[in-house]
Amino acid sequence: MERSLDLNEELIRNPASTFFVRVKGDSMRDAGIHTGDILVVDRSLTPTDRKIVVAMIDGEFTVKRFRATDGKVFLEAANEKFPRIEVSGDQELVVWGVVAFVIHQAR
Amino acid sequence: MRMGRLALVDCNNFFCSCERVFDPSLIGVPVVVLSNNDGCIISRSEEAKAIGIPMGAPLHEQKEVIRKHGVRVFSSNYTLYGDMSARVMSILKDEVGVMEVYSIDEAFLELGEGFGVEEARRLRAKVLRWTGIPVCIGIGETKMLAKLANRHAKKNREKTGGVFEMKEGAEELMAGVACDGLWGVGKNLARRLAGLGITTALEFKKADPVKIRKSLGVVGERMLREMNGTRCLELEEMPPDRKGVMASRSFGAPVEALEELEEALANHVARASEKVRRFSLWAMRVDVFLQTNYFRKGEPQYCPGAGVNLDQPTNGTGELMGIAGKLLRKIYRLGYKYKKVGVMLGGLVGSGAYQPVLAFEGVREEPRVDIDKIVDGINRRFGDRKNPVIMRGSMGNRRLGGGWRMRSGRKSPSYTTSWRELAVVRG
Repeated sequence: MERSLDLNEELIRNPASTFFVRVKGDSMRDAGIHTGDILVVDRSLTPTDRKIVVAMIDGEFTVKRFRATDGKVFLEAANEKFPRIEVSGDQELVVWGVVAFVIHQAR
Repeated sequence: MRMGRLALVDCNNFFCSCERVFDPSLIGVPVVVLSNNDGCIISRSEEAKAIGIPMGAPLHEQKEVIRKHGVRVFSSNYTLYGDMSARVMSILKDEVGVMEVYSIDEAFLELGEGFGVEEARRLRAKVLRWTGIPVCIGIGETKMLAKLANRHAKKNREKTGGVFEMKEGAEELMAGVACDGLWGVGKNLARRLAGLGITTALEFKKADPVKIRKSLGVVGERMLREMNGTRCLELEEMPPDRKGVMASRSFGAPVEALEELEEALANHVARASEKVRRFSLWAMRVDVFLQTNYFRKGEPQYCPGAGVNLDQPTNGTGELMGIAGKLLRKIYRLGYKYKKVGVMLGGLVGSGAYQPVLAFEGVREEPRVDIDKIVDGINRRFGDRKNPVIMRGSMGNRRLGGGWRMRSGRKSPSYTTSWRELAVVRG
């Protein structure tokens, strides 16, 4: 029997490792991520260069573009007003999960 | 008899670890989680252990230490812990197929031929990456040996990397473990063993079975056999669908009266809760539904449902009946001919939700879980009569006029079950 479409099937590839978080701030505006949006974060995905990730830095969660080039790792905003976040000596950059989808209310 | 090996997977400081997944400010600082009513400390991060906060300590006795070290204190958030537990368990289940969820944070896995320490390390890394929850894994031929291996893995995490298998050389390890460090050996049993001149796990392993049977009975003998690699405790597998247990039935003739629906529902709750208990599970959600006869087109149709998330897991028939009855009264409307009423117990988590229910003392002998007994057992282990670790709260208490309410003033958000309480990320 055919069932109605279930958005979970499309947005949640791996239920055990998928979490939702809420965005506050505009640093990823140009990547289509706005304040109030919900991110579908899949922790089973591997962060590679240019993936959008949720990372932990200085005791907070932040969503940014993950960059790993020339042996250097940093986080990049998608809004010219925000500087890139370089990871300095005593700081630790931990990627919490990779953003799989962005849920944005059309206005 | 099966000669395979078992793994015991145990989440480290589970409640604290759950809190930490969703709050990066908790990393590296001491964290504790409190029992119901914020009475006692029931989970401690490694940092909290290091500054000497004891398990089961009443909160008021630790006020000074908490202030001095900036310990972060949380009320228990069972909705969150239940959700995280289900995630961890589903990853383990995918890995091995046959397993027993022993408690909210522990599971026994039946291992195949090729599953060794390397595979366990990979599994450990996978659970950590996917859920953020660190686990330790102990491997052995029996539950008792797996448990002992797990204990060693945990206590010597730096050396073991959180994974240990009982193999040759196990005896050396056992020589260094006191009897009361063995699974299922409480203070009482340890004292009786000491009376026989047995003080270490190794001495127990090598003890004379006849002598053990004579003084400790069949329970003691079973433990002895387990210590020597013969399985006496088999895995209790999960019910086919972990998501929940449903009980419903169509009526022979249409039913209109609330009382009749209540009676039928009570029966369904009794059956469903019995099944939940049989698998040593607790429910964290109750759903009730009603149906009219869809095929009688001329009659008014009404198929409502209602559910509630419980603040704390339960499998008590009485409590569940109270909750289900309340839900039924909420959805019931006069003037419909009902064909079916049913209940679904969901969000199932292992029964030792607070600490292991001792397998040798109760659960196996008598599958019905007596909540009072468990609560009493925990209080005996970690508290005393004046300062019980866990109070037996229930929906019933609340229903009876609401004067008494569970205190949970420091509960973290329901990060995984409420859209309004999602963790916030800085954009």
